Amino acid sequence: MKIAVLVKQVPGSETALPILENQKWIDEEQVSFVMNPPDNFAIEEALLIKERTGDGEVVIVSMGPARVQKVIREGLAKGADRGIHLEEDGQIQTDPLSIAKSISSILMDENFDLVLTGLQSDDTGMGQTGVLIGEMLGMSTGTLVMETDVQDSAIRVKRELESGWFQWVKLPLPASISIQSGLNTPRYPSLRGIMGAKKKEIKVVSPSEHQTDAISQSIDKVFVSQTSKQTEMIEGNADSAVTRIIEILKSELKVL
Amino acid sequence: MSLAHFSIVEKVILAGLTLAALGSFSYEVLRRVLIVQKGLGSFPFDRFGERFLRVFREVILHEKVIRERPFPGLMHALVFWGFLVFGIVTIDHFAIGFYKPLMSDSVHHAYSKIVIPFAVFVIFGILSLTYRRFINRPKALGKISPTSGLVAVFIVVLMVTYIYGETDLSPLVWKMNWWIHSILILAFLFLIPRSKHLHLVLAPFNIFFRSFDQPDHTPVHIDLEGDEEELDAMLNDLTKLTKNQALDIFSCVECGRCTDVCPANRGGGILDPKYHFIMDLRKPLLEGKDVAVLDQINVEAGWECTTCMACTEVCPVGNHVEKSDEIRRLEVLVEGRVPQEYQKLFTNLQETGNTEGASSSPFADSFPVFTADKEYVLWLGCFARHGLDPNFNKSVENFTKILDVAGVTYGVLAEEQCSGDPANRLGDKLTYTMLREHNMEQLSETKKVVTLCPHCAVNLGKEYGKYDSINYTVEHHTQVIGRLIDEGKIKVKMGESGKVTYHDPCNLSRMLDIVDEPRTAIQAASSNFQEMEENGRNTLCCGAGGALWWKKETQGRTHLVRAEQVIESGADTVVTSCNFCYGMMKQGLGPLTPEGRVEVVVKDVADIVADNLV
Amino acid sequence: MDILVVLEDNHGSLHRMSKEAIAGAQKMGGSISALAIGANADAMAGELSGVDITEVITINHDLVSSYNADGYSDVVSEVIKSESPKTIVAGHSYQTRDFMPRVSAKLDIPFIPDIISMDNGIVKQVLNAKLNALVTTSADQVILSFQSAAFSEEAMVTGSCLTRSIEVNLDSSIVRSEAEEPFQEAAGGVDLESAELLVSIGRGIEKEENIQIAFDLAKALGAEVSASRPVVDSGWVEPFRQVGSSGQSVSPKLYFALGISGAIQHVVGMKGSENILAINKDSDAPIFEIADYAVVGDVLEIVPKLIEALHN
Repeated sequence: MKIAVLVKQVPGSETALPILENQKWIDEEQVSFVMNPPDNFAIEEALLIKERTGDGEVVIVSMGPARVQKVIREGLAKGADRGIHLEEDGQIQTDPLSIAKSISSILMDENFDLVLTGLQSDDTGMGQTGVLIGEMLGMSTGTLVMETDVQDSAIRVKRELESGWFQWVKLPLPASISIQSGLNTPRYPSLRGIMGAKKKEIKVVSPSEHQTDAISQSIDKVFVSQTSKQTEMIEGNADSAVTRIIEILKSELKVL
Repeated sequence: MSLAHFSIVEKVILAGLTLAALGSFSYEVLRRVLIVQKGLGSFPFDRFGERFLRVFREVILHEKVIRERPFPGLMHALVFWGFLVFGIVTIDHFAIGFYKPLMSDSVHHAYSKIVIPFAVFVIFGILSLTYRRFINRPKALGKISPTSGLVAVFIVVLMVTYIYGETDLSPLVWKMNWWIHSILILAFLFLIPRSKHLHLVLAPFNIFFRSFDQPDHTPVHIDLEGDEEELDAMLNDLTKLTKNQALDIFSCVECGRCTDVCPANRGGGILDPKYHFIMDLRKPLLEGKDVAVLDQINVEAGWECTTCMACTEVCPVGNHVEKSDEIRRLEVLVEGRVPQEYQKLFTNLQETGNTEGASSSPFADSFPVFTADKEYVLWLGCFARHGLDPNFNKSVENFTKILDVAGVTYGVLAEEQCSGDPANRLGDKLTYTMLREHNMEQLSETKKVVTLCPHCAVNLGKEYGKYDSINYTVEHHTQVIGRLIDEGKIKVKMGESGKVTYHDPCNLSRMLDIVDEPRTAIQAASSNFQEMEENGRNTLCCGAGGALWWKKETQGRTHLVRAEQVIESGADTVVTSCNFCYGMMKQGLGPLTPEGRVEVVVKDVADIVADNLV
Repeated sequence: MDILVVLEDNHGSLHRMSKEAIAGAQKMGGSISALAIGANADAMAGELSGVDITEVITINHDLVSSYNADGYSDVVSEVIKSESPKTIVAGHSYQTRDFMPRVSAKLDIPFIPDIISMDNGIVKQVLNAKLNALVTTSADQVILSFQSAAFSEEAMVTGSCLTRSIEVNLDSSIVRSEAEEPFQEAAGGVDLESAELLVSIGRGIEKEENIQIAFDLAKALGAEVSASRPVVDSGWVEPFRQVGSSGQSVSPKLYFALGISGAIQHVVGMKGSENILAINKDSDAPIFEIADYAVVGDVLEIVPKLIEALHN
């Protein structure tokens, strides 16, 4: 069983996010990076599937500048077998279609049985890459997977539906699935794993080998959301307060 | 005393029984000694005089045993002293059976005037202890122990037969009494090495070899550039006990003092140091005949430990009880099994050099930077740098205010990273190595460091020194304040109102032995200072140690136990000298304050002094 | 047509987010056709008969009578190819996330997801909702999905529309998945960090017996329950519900703070909330400094009335 896990390196959640002068993105020089937290669950699930089926190969795939090799190594330290680094130079790609085309072109020849991704990335949060790649490589697809059950040439997945509903779906292999956070307990790399990861292979694919020129969407500008923090004091007795609260919930916050 | 006559047959029987008992005793002791010898490292013989004195005080004088549990301790002391006095009596007793008495009649008679009162003391002591163990049944002693009952019976009968033997008896009765006494002694010999009474033999050695510093864990050297064989050897060694630890396991008297003082246990957690850190390892040691038993420690219990060292402090036979370091490092380095919130903590430390994953510290930026012309590096620590309790930042500022008034110069290190205490105590020795190496480089030109965080002080000042020689001294801010007051460089008026008490941080009192200086400072500002229960080196940990501050789901109410004691003390203000204790007190006192009472005010030593500076 | 709105079936009736998507499409302007697929297509069309759009296209075929990614992506792609809408729009639901990227890849049309506003260009949140981003595309066609409540179903303009049913040819080999019956399950440990709505309990709840009203309010709102440390320490709720410096960090859309004073150790865990509504007896409570909506009043009086009003 050959499993590819797509991972992304994203800014840490506690780090400050200074915006570039041209407002196109944040200044990545000043930011600390981590493994995209949802991807941890995908890596763990891939390793568990490998352990359950008894054989197989887990390959960590990531696209980005040189620094993303760090998260590939993290996956290797946890037990993955090798890595593939699609190098990016200069402008970071944010168009899901272009990213998927790049990655598909490299995954194509390897004939993976499974492609696993986290639910979405904590930076751009497009949440499509796994499914796009699945379509491009002719794989069956499934998202929000809460449990996996590998069978002969197929994988049964428990998909999370809204409002506490779930559904098991059987997908023939090869399949591309996105993993819902919380379905497993990600392991921490052991010391042997960390040391051993240094020797595992990371194939570097240069930009010219995978980059596509066609960009279908881009982020033009990032900015701080404009809400000014004005506290509205709700006056009156309990009844009038309740009336106002219902109004807020309904019309302003739209949570009803 | 009539000269008793022992026939050849009797002497042969006596010889046989004696040899059997001695043989069995020797075999069992040797068996355990051989296992201990397999332990890592070597027994320490440095500071010989100090070690010897310690044995004298703790064994002969029974100082610790009596201090920790006064009445039972004294009863035990009576039994022990009786034991010592009986030494020559027993030798003489057997000499009579084999050959002839060693003591002349007059010596024997004179000596018995000393021995008989001791025998009475012993009986009294044993009966009190038996009553306590079998009728009172304190929780710490655990299940009913048949061997204890047996030993109690033995000792009483031995004393009774001795006293009886000193009265006028017919030869036959005297001989029977003599045989009963002898058989019980031989039976005792048989029993000793197979039970906790082995401490009779081992405790003096164990106390002699005990480390002077707490905690005392073998450093874990990790060389990221090293080869696989070295790594494998190092990882294999992680399951092995040291010689000292192995000796500990066999010396344990199962008294349960360690469990009594354990904050995790007192807070309702599952951790029971007596079993989880010591007794659970005894059987694997004996059965496996080898020392690779550290992986037998209960993992869940291991994660509950606050690494406060109360268990080790209180052990009467010199055990280094706490072994959370050992099991945690196995879980982290070998198994890769780490609770999720700690994984985040480790990642933060690796990526950003601090526990919070923050990219900057405006608070640190507000202080002058250290340059070579300044006297001290002011080490802030992650708690202050990243505002884990923003109220504490004022305490740091109060300390710098004191330094300014005294004309002491200081600066912060621009590249200060976490001292690594959370990684160290949680078993992630790799992240600890990274942080330690970075900080050592930052401190390479430093001579003096002062910090408000005892955890930082322990690591910078002592733990780092276990890996590399350090070129700086580390002081805790209370030491500096205490000294400035003594030298008259700052003047403090007694302006503090209300009743003031002090909570000793465990890292400060037990690990750094700093107990007096904070009190000097507090009593300069307050005339109404009162000690809490369990103070000084016997302090009860606030619950945040061992990186438990970052543990999201706590099993018990460890963090509230000490807060309850503060409230019960009736104090208006509780002073402490550790940022974690400060944060825990602030969190715990609110919910526990009864209706109608004003909430206890929490202050750091720096606060109470700064508030009352003249 | 200008806009094709892909509708979603929610257990037989129209999904709320589909109605919001229609409202959004109407705001964008242009001719709008809605697409209903599956066994309940006609029912969905019926629900939109009084709405001001051009038409509802209904498609029912055995292979798409109930949702599956293969079938739906194929059908939607076919409709887009034959009807050539400039823009394709849907609610950003779990279902949309499951199949819409397939359409995007099949037709090479960019999919811009989880949009919060169309007023000044296409805006979505990035970096865990810490920043907003303006997204642009130069493609001829684009697929958009709207975040829940970005538009309001109340804003749907009324009118009338027609229904048109289309026949599709679907090869059985297209649908490769085998789906079993959906089922319900009680959620396991609650993941506060991903909760949209939180009702949080502080010491102002006063007694353990009163905790229930917080849970009732949460149920009425479809929210999760969290609490400050003192409430957890008192044993009134489970430890995993704790929010604060030694508990979870949360950033829900709405944080309902009941009787929470706003001590710093608690605030650090929830200050990332998009909206904070606080009820507290003490007008000086620090929580009011960070609240968007502040009610100085008695939680025990207000919450039961609120629950009653919500049930009406």
